[in-house]
Amino acid sequence: MSRRFRGLSGEKIMAWKGVALALAGAIGLSAPATAQTLTMAVGAPVTSLDPHFHQLSPNNAVAAMVFDRLVNTDGQARQVPGLAESWSTVAPDTWEFKLRRGVRFHNGNEFTAEDVAFTFRRVPNVPNSPSSFAAFVRPIREVQVVDSHTIRLRTDGPYPLLPQDMTNVYILDRETHENATTEDFNAGRAAVGTGPFRVVSHRLGDRIEFERNDEYFGDKPHWQRVNYRMIVNDSARTAALLAGDVEFIDQVPTADLARLRRDDRLYMSEVTGLRIIYLSLDHPREEASPFVTDNNGQPLPRNPLRDLRVRRALSMAIDRQAIVDRVMEGAATPSGQFFPPGIFSYVPDLPAPRFDAEGARRLLAEAGFPQGFRITLHGPNDRYPNDGRIIQAIGQMWTRIGVRTAVEAQPWTTFVARAGRQEFSAFLIGWGSNPEGSHPLRNLIATFNRDRGWGASNRGRYSNPEVDALLIQALGTINDGEREQILIRAQRMALEDVAIIPLHIQTNIWAMRNHLRHDSRADELTRAQDVKPAR
Amino acid sequence: MSDVTLDKAPVAPKEETPFRRFVSEFMASKIAVGGLLVFSIIVVVALLAPWIAPQNPYDLGQIDIMDGRLEPGEVGGSGITHWLGTDDQGRDMLSGIMYGLRISLTVGAGSALIACLVGASLGLLAAYAGGRTDTVIMRLVDLQLSFPTILAALMILAFLGKGIMNVVIALVIVEWAYYARTVRGSALVERRREYIEAAQCLALPTRRILFRHLLPNCLPPLIVVGTIQVARAIALEATLSFLGLGVPITEPSLGLLIANGYEYMLSGKYWISFYPGVALLVTIVSINLMGDHLRDVLNPRLKK
Repeated sequence: MSRRFRGLSGEKIMAWKGVALALAGAIGLSAPATAQTLTMAVGAPVTSLDPHFHQLSPNNAVAAMVFDRLVNTDGQARQVPGLAESWSTVAPDTWEFKLRRGVRFHNGNEFTAEDVAFTFRRVPNVPNSPSSFAAFVRPIREVQVVDSHTIRLRTDGPYPLLPQDMTNVYILDRETHENATTEDFNAGRAAVGTGPFRVVSHRLGDRIEFERNDEYFGDKPHWQRVNYRMIVNDSARTAALLAGDVEFIDQVPTADLARLRRDDRLYMSEVTGLRIIYLSLDHPREEASPFVTDNNGQPLPRNPLRDLRVRRALSMAIDRQAIVDRVMEGAATPSGQFFPPGIFSYVPDLPAPRFDAEGARRLLAEAGFPQGFRITLHGPNDRYPNDGRIIQAIGQMWTRIGVRTAVEAQPWTTFVARAGRQEFSAFLIGWGSNPEGSHPLRNLIATFNRDRGWGASNRGRYSNPEVDALLIQALGTINDGEREQILIRAQRMALEDVAIIPLHIQTNIWAMRNHLRHDSRADELTRAQDVKPAR
Repeated sequence: MSDVTLDKAPVAPKEETPFRRFVSEFMASKIAVGGLLVFSIIVVVALLAPWIAPQNPYDLGQIDIMDGRLEPGEVGGSGITHWLGTDDQGRDMLSGIMYGLRISLTVGAGSALIACLVGASLGLLAAYAGGRTDTVIMRLVDLQLSFPTILAALMILAFLGKGIMNVVIALVIVEWAYYARTVRGSALVERRREYIEAAQCLALPTRRILFRHLLPNCLPPLIVVGTIQVARAIALEATLSFLGLGVPITEPSLGLLIANGYEYMLSGKYWISFYPGVALLVTIVSINLMGDHLRDVLNPRLKK
């Protein structure tokens, strides 16, 4: 009842708000002039306002300000009700979502189950999408609108990950977006959602102006207006914060961390993220690996990286804490697995491998390489924080156990194409995970299989039938507790076999002027609703 | 016939050779001698770097990340005193600069020499042959010079990939045009002189006329341009490395050392960028001082 009432009298409320604002403006001159306006700068450009166009953190962050999902996520990436108030399986292969009532889009249209059905139809049909959201709706075989606020989704067999997939799909309005193209969104016409902010104006790649949606169903953001700027250059972004041109920045460059932490005009917000940095090794080649040679530069008859002892030696030789302290300036946590503690399917008692150069040398000798060998370690130089520095540091550490390492850093686009063609013997790369063990397992560890869509990012082509079998079992298990145990077993098996060499999990860091506070997010999204005034 | 430019009355009374006169005129400027002296020291340091540098900064086994970003004068874990501090990887800056100078000088001198050979030959040919050959070559030069140097070099390196050899190739491609234009200008004047006519009347082979008669008389401006281009090439190599397109990250040249330290400037760790910057500055200034004075000495119009 009360919701309907508010819907009807929306204009009146707006008018009162206007009066209140004017009064606040007249009286509150002693408060900072920008009390209700937030100016923030992000480090990566937003490429589109179409929430189904490009799977990219900056785009998703803006989408999460303007739109909502059936299942939203909190700062720790846990599922929380969004446009769906609850969800459950009504049959092993059918999920039912109960939708929130009384939600309205920015243009006043009511949100109903038809809008959800429409959204699922649109997602796979966005032309020219550089990285599509289609995978998140592909498991849905049939959409059944039970009533205006209940929807059932049938899948092929039990599919436990559907709520997780739903945390990635932003819901549109059928009436508004029936024929809306990506260009319509980018022009601002179609950027109409249910989210806490509406788009006022914007210039792609430069800035977006938001205004608070006072009808929002959830917690109302503090800010009446938000000026969302994109400053790609790291030093320029830091300088803008220091100069007070902006009040809030993301992606704080690690080189500036020490100094910013000392500055008491600033406040930092940090959380261990979900992005793991790891080394991938050449698994499939039996004979010589392209960048491994003996100490005279001659190809080795067999690929030493197939020997578990060699892989363990290379992992033990890395002083992860030194990399975190010296290269990452503390903005990371050494890790031996995909997730930080507290995330679903975190493997207990699997700490980061202990640094042990002596042990590594012994293992190498056992494996038949007492004099070591030579290897080239590849990596990008413009993708992850300090990527080029990390591979140099690892080059030092491997060289010290007798594996003479050359280091080659390349721009990301060249690098990732070559890595995808299995041209390297060892390389550094990162992975931003969904908080569910099957996600990294399916993409990084599972045997490469194009038809199944498995191993899409398994560029080292690791293959372990036992892990694959466990993964299939997990993906058919609806019960969260049981599934978690299976996923833990699968991860432990792959990681003890050194399928990859995990290095560290990045810390997401935001910096702001001291009058602000921020609810940090493991998923790296920088959103205005998470910023609040101090006190 | 190679003393055309020095046709003035002798300054020194004793036995005159053009070279001796050139040397004595060059030595007359204290600034130029200073430049030469500094430059010679730099060359010696660069040549002897493997023997006098405290560590080999290109050997990953000798540097330690735990020694990273030490301040000038601190002693690292390996017992070396880092007089100019260390960079983020724990590389001794002094050694890094010595080795970096090697790269800078090799790239600078190497690319200037090759560009000079290519450019001068084409310039001579254009001037001597005239007609269509001249048009084709000089339009090519115009085309080349119409691109901003750094942009052209960036494009070439993006295509060729990293590596010292590729940097040299890129620099040759962007610089040969300067030599070609310079040589053509003076060769056009010279080829109308009587001695060329005489040589032609003797039916000497073209190659001989070009390289034995024409070229020596075009040398003075070429030497001046060459010196300045060496300095330019060094600066350009540093720029390309600074932008991350030059040398490999484990073998930093001066430009890459500066780039490595650039991020730490805001944090007060000045030495990573500062000292390589000073080394680069001193090198380029010393070459330019010599070049400027060479121009004065070799230019007949400036003679009193």
